[in-house]
Amino acid sequence: MSKVYFSTWRGEQINNIGKNDDAWENSAYNLPLEYNEHAHSKAFIGWDGVALFNPDVDVVRLATEYAAQYQVYSEACGRCAPGRWGGRILYDLLDKIARGEGAVSDMEHLKEVSRTMQETSKCEIGKTVPNPLLDLMTHFESEFMACIENQKPSKHYHMEDTNYIAKITAPCMDACPAHVDIPAYIEGVRDLRFDDSLMATRQTMPLAHTCGRVCPHPCETECRRTNLDEPISIMELKRLGADYETDHGFGFFHPSEKKASIGKKVAVIGAGPAGLTGAYYLALDGIDVDVYEELPVLGGEVAVGVPEYRMPIDKYNQDIEAVRSLGVNFITNTKVTADMMRQFENDYDATLVATGTRISKKVYCDNERKEIAGYWGAIDMLDEVNLFVKYGIGQDLDLTGKTVVCVGGGFTSMDVVRCSIRANAAKVIMLYRRDEKTIIKNTTYEEYHEAVEEGVEFIFHSAVARMNDENDVLKSLTVDRYELVPDPNGGRPTLEKIEGASFDIECDFLIPAVSQSADLKLIPEEWEVERTSWATIKTNGKDYMTSRKGIFAAGDCEYGPMTIVNAVGQAKRAASVMSRYVVNGEITLTDDEIMEDHLRKLKVYDKKEKIVGWLPGLPRQHSEVLTVDERKDNNREVKYGFTQEEALAEAERCMRCYYIAMVAH
Amino acid sequence: MINFTINGQPVIASKGETILQAARKAGFYIPTMCYLEKTTPCASCRLCVVETDKTDGLILSCQTPPTEGLGVTINSERLEQERTNIMRLYDVNHPLECGVCDKSGACDLQNKTLEFGVSAQHFSAKEHHRTIEHWGLINYDPSLCILCEKCVHVCNEIIGDDAIELQFGGYKSAVIPKNSEVLDCTFCGECIAVCPVGALVSSEFQYSANAWELTQIPATCAHCSAGCSLTYEVRHTSNSIGAKAKIYRVTNNFEHTTLCGAGRFGFDFAVEGTKDEAELAKAVHAIQNATAIRFNSLITNEEAMILQGLKEKLGIKLYNEEARAYQSFMAAYASISGKTGFGGSLDAIVQSDGIIVLGGRIVTDNPAVRYAMTTAARHRGAKVVYMHPLEDEWLKNVVTQFVKYEVGTEEGVIAMLAKTLLSGADISEETKTFFDGLDEGYLCAESNVGDEEYTHIAKSFARAKRKTLIIGSDVLNHERASNIARLCAMIETYTEFSIVVVAGSVNTIGISLICDLDVDTFGGNVVGYNAAGDYTMGSIGDVMLKLPSLNSQEGTFVSINHQVLPTNVAVAFEGYTLNDIANALGLVSQHTIDYTEKLPVSKGFNGTSFDSLGNFYGALGEDNRGYILENIDVEANGILEEVEDLPEFNGTVVYRCNPVNQFNGYTARTKQLEKEATLRGSAQFAAAAKIGDGDKIRIEFPQGTQERIFELDSTLKGTIALVPAYDVGFGELNEQYRFEKVKIMRMGSES
Repeated sequence: MSKVYFSTWRGEQINNIGKNDDAWENSAYNLPLEYNEHAHSKAFIGWDGVALFNPDVDVVRLATEYAAQYQVYSEACGRCAPGRWGGRILYDLLDKIARGEGAVSDMEHLKEVSRTMQETSKCEIGKTVPNPLLDLMTHFESEFMACIENQKPSKHYHMEDTNYIAKITAPCMDACPAHVDIPAYIEGVRDLRFDDSLMATRQTMPLAHTCGRVCPHPCETECRRTNLDEPISIMELKRLGADYETDHGFGFFHPSEKKASIGKKVAVIGAGPAGLTGAYYLALDGIDVDVYEELPVLGGEVAVGVPEYRMPIDKYNQDIEAVRSLGVNFITNTKVTADMMRQFENDYDATLVATGTRISKKVYCDNERKEIAGYWGAIDMLDEVNLFVKYGIGQDLDLTGKTVVCVGGGFTSMDVVRCSIRANAAKVIMLYRRDEKTIIKNTTYEEYHEAVEEGVEFIFHSAVARMNDENDVLKSLTVDRYELVPDPNGGRPTLEKIEGASFDIECDFLIPAVSQSADLKLIPEEWEVERTSWATIKTNGKDYMTSRKGIFAAGDCEYGPMTIVNAVGQAKRAASVMSRYVVNGEITLTDDEIMEDHLRKLKVYDKKEKIVGWLPGLPRQHSEVLTVDERKDNNREVKYGFTQEEALAEAERCMRCYYIAMVAH
Repeated sequence: MINFTINGQPVIASKGETILQAARKAGFYIPTMCYLEKTTPCASCRLCVVETDKTDGLILSCQTPPTEGLGVTINSERLEQERTNIMRLYDVNHPLECGVCDKSGACDLQNKTLEFGVSAQHFSAKEHHRTIEHWGLINYDPSLCILCEKCVHVCNEIIGDDAIELQFGGYKSAVIPKNSEVLDCTFCGECIAVCPVGALVSSEFQYSANAWELTQIPATCAHCSAGCSLTYEVRHTSNSIGAKAKIYRVTNNFEHTTLCGAGRFGFDFAVEGTKDEAELAKAVHAIQNATAIRFNSLITNEEAMILQGLKEKLGIKLYNEEARAYQSFMAAYASISGKTGFGGSLDAIVQSDGIIVLGGRIVTDNPAVRYAMTTAARHRGAKVVYMHPLEDEWLKNVVTQFVKYEVGTEEGVIAMLAKTLLSGADISEETKTFFDGLDEGYLCAESNVGDEEYTHIAKSFARAKRKTLIIGSDVLNHERASNIARLCAMIETYTEFSIVVVAGSVNTIGISLICDLDVDTFGGNVVGYNAAGDYTMGSIGDVMLKLPSLNSQEGTFVSINHQVLPTNVAVAFEGYTLNDIANALGLVSQHTIDYTEKLPVSKGFNGTSFDSLGNFYGALGEDNRGYILENIDVEANGILEEVEDLPEFNGTVVYRCNPVNQFNGYTARTKQLEKEATLRGSAQFAAAAKIGDGDKIRIEFPQGTQERIFELDSTLKGTIALVPAYDVGFGELNEQYRFEKVKIMRMGSES
């Protein structure tokens, strides 16, 4: 809900022109009324309409500026005849009218060029730029005509009283926590310019191999192609650029040249996705970075948590080497303590805490005691498996003859059960409180089905009630069954225990993989760093500075256990804020970042939109996977990835849904 | 197969085909400005929009495959209106310099402007200054550029230079050199070819002739064994009566074929001759008294027939060491495969998803092979293994695994490669025993190729379905060439690999099939035809009797595709021909091309006469040039020999390798092609040889000495330098093994 003077956003027709302020009808959308804490917005204009927040907006100038921004932000454009020439003509004609030199025929030409752009442009940006312009020309025709008839400039034409801030976006980019320029990297694949593809990815996402494999791809849920047939296989297309770089042994294609050192130093705690991302963008900005890592190996949970068969370490190491190639200094086997943190305040210009969440939470059942042999936290179990499989450290896990029970439902629990299968366990059981649909929603369809194929037994609507041991050795579990009981008042259904349905499972291991919590002992107590209610480090979720000046936090230790791409997105933003903070001591967001947050709140994807200009029924490509027998007793990567033919066919489906939005303030 | 309709007519599309492709095959016309059949769609012009019964709005036919039952409409008032508006936009501020523009008369923009009846500028926009760029052989005028992106696509997807890109900037967008201030590429000029307007032009040709004044002469390129199709464009040189014609430029059917810079810019190599009867008599006399005729492979099949005829008639010998090496290589090859020719072709390379190249410097040896590899790498994601003692920077974006072996160890490397590729193949016990008996430790150590490198090759080809092994010309003159050939034939016979052997020169393959060649003893009384001799004739070097060059002759070549390809006279030659000499010596034939139909059927020629040979491509790219040789069955009674001890090449080693766009005595004398004749080596080579950049040096080969300038090349690594061959003698790269131990002496500094 937003208070507006006029709005055509997403087809609404709010017109409060001439009405008393208190009689104004509100817009149904989260429009960016406040640009930031210093500025009220005057208007918002974008691909799907225009909203005015006060009566004084110079709509002719607004239209002109929007057309101008389309010219300025042309890295997403200039690729088709209607967009390139049409965009220029729109601007030239609008400016001609706005400065008081327009003719009536210019209005006609504007409409004609607009139609051709809407019908034939290559990207949505070219197709949609005319939309709000036509809205303004229709609803405020008299203001345009006044400029033409009187040959006078528009009311604010010669005033520099308004800032016009524009931002390119796309539904997928908006949905991606790292805001990866997805249409650009897909275009790189389509045009067989794989270096361009990778550079587009690396603008905001250094871990291209990784997020081409193990990302839960929220972008695909908000892919506009879904409205037509099926979403683009966005995640997997990311691999082509990364593989091109690796296969040909090129150096690293960075999105921009590394700046010369500016003489500032930052400490990053943790070499997982958040730490690596923060280090990457800080280093690109010419900042010297030391990354401290507790483990002997780099990569954090993706290295020691995610199994080899999902994320081959040689590929992840390529991503890590890309970070190292910028001169980032890695210090392994070093657990940072509170004393060290106190010292870091003197030694470094800023510190980024990216320590993740590496404490497995309890399942909260009776007799849940660490001393019982067979009680094994998921994080510890996966550490052991991965350190051996990927680095040859420690022992090869052998579960021959053993029964393993895992309690979970997320990615980590899937890793636990599938690793147990690969360790030759006799029986592997997953207990989950909710149903099959929910486990798929929390992970992916492929993950769940591959686990089932490999022989994992899933017991839904169940939870461990008690661990049964003999002399501190686990013997069995007592498991309660639950059912979903609808709320008679129409609220959310609740899970209720089914009395008398409990049963015992004989087993050797109980592996809790319900969730993880952050180990924040490294934060000095006297700093009184604010925590969230779920015991992670608190920031405002925009600039990622903690309540302690100069100490930033990103990734799971800030958000709680979440996805890789979420950690990347947070750390990228934190690095951006830090790169300015170390220079001027101020916490600021760029206009681009402010707009990014506004658009996310507004939501770019509209699942009700009807798609025109694209043929439905072209199927989404699926890459080949190893058969169960080929994969279940080893760590070969399960997914082959696209063949070139599949990749090109898939890239061809992308509709390049770039949009341009602009705030006037 | 997908059934759908266009304007109500049933049309069938095969899998992966777009609406536009299916429409063209079925004979429907959909206008385009940016479409290029051989690349991925640029999708920039938007003219090819169509309507369908399953969509609202217009869809792009060049990038959309049809769905079953789809009804497509390709003409309607609405489409006409939008297409016309697009043309109106294209015409906004397009400079009205058609009067002098090179493209005028053959310009897509001009044609489509007329087609859509755009008679006046409908829209206006503010123009800004755009600077004309001069990139050596290529000029770029951004104000004429319509940003169709064809040039960018072809440079990256087909050529592999990836030297230009689009600088995005809305109305200010332009084509710019990629990662460089000036254009740094192999100057194939394909960007000029595909440019639909006059934005990218040949700097030499610019403002020299109108398109409509030029006569097109279809021919076959005379620079390497690829046998590329090209058109010599010829015009009178002045308006005076009897003015001689000359070649103004070379063009190609860029929609379906690709040409390198030597073919495109190296066309002015014709010689002039006169009918000097006394000199003809001398030539006849010289041959009558000669023990042999020595010749290179820059001759037609018909001339080869004449030489063979002379051999039979006069009992003289025929020397061509380069073709003889190829001939004996293929004889050994056939003794295992049972076929006279190898099974692969340029198209097989294009279709491959796994490629191994061994023993050649492909980028300069045979650009067409390189383009085929680039196409496979980009379009099919082909894994490409390059095995050679020297890495090649130009191949970096194609090669996925570089395997460096020691000079001279090719036999061991191929034996190990064959063992790798034949593992699991259905081979005889005897062959199995041969491979089991290989001394792997020795071969790996001496060739410096580790076991794991072969394992990696096998692993990266695990998913490949169509594979090609390309054998470069290094091995043709190797001491162990015959056994290498047998090993290659094993691979082709018992695996899914098809093989392409990169013959060394224009008509090496034709000569090897037609002539019965003798071992050159470098003694006796020899007549040289484009080669050294006591009496010399031909079109290369300072010869006694001028004979027509290959662009002044009718006749045929055999290309790397085993295709018999006709070529035609672009520039008339007034003197005598080899046929005239032969007739004087008792052979009887009115014209040289009377021999075309007599080419030996036993070698796979099919008796077609010259005038019956096509020399064009169909509208959909059907190859109507000449014909494909029949691959003749022969007895396969060869056996593999033990691999001999691998030789060592210590000390100063050079590799005969021509610079980009240089091949032979013809390219050496063209105006536009860069004539780089330096010895190029790495810093490591320079240090070992105690020479520096710019030093004047003397190179002592076993066959003689050369004086050259040394040039430090930062793209090179290791201890082997590259020495050109095109500029010495007759420019034969492949008369002996391409690596050679030499002595280098510093004679002073150039500056």
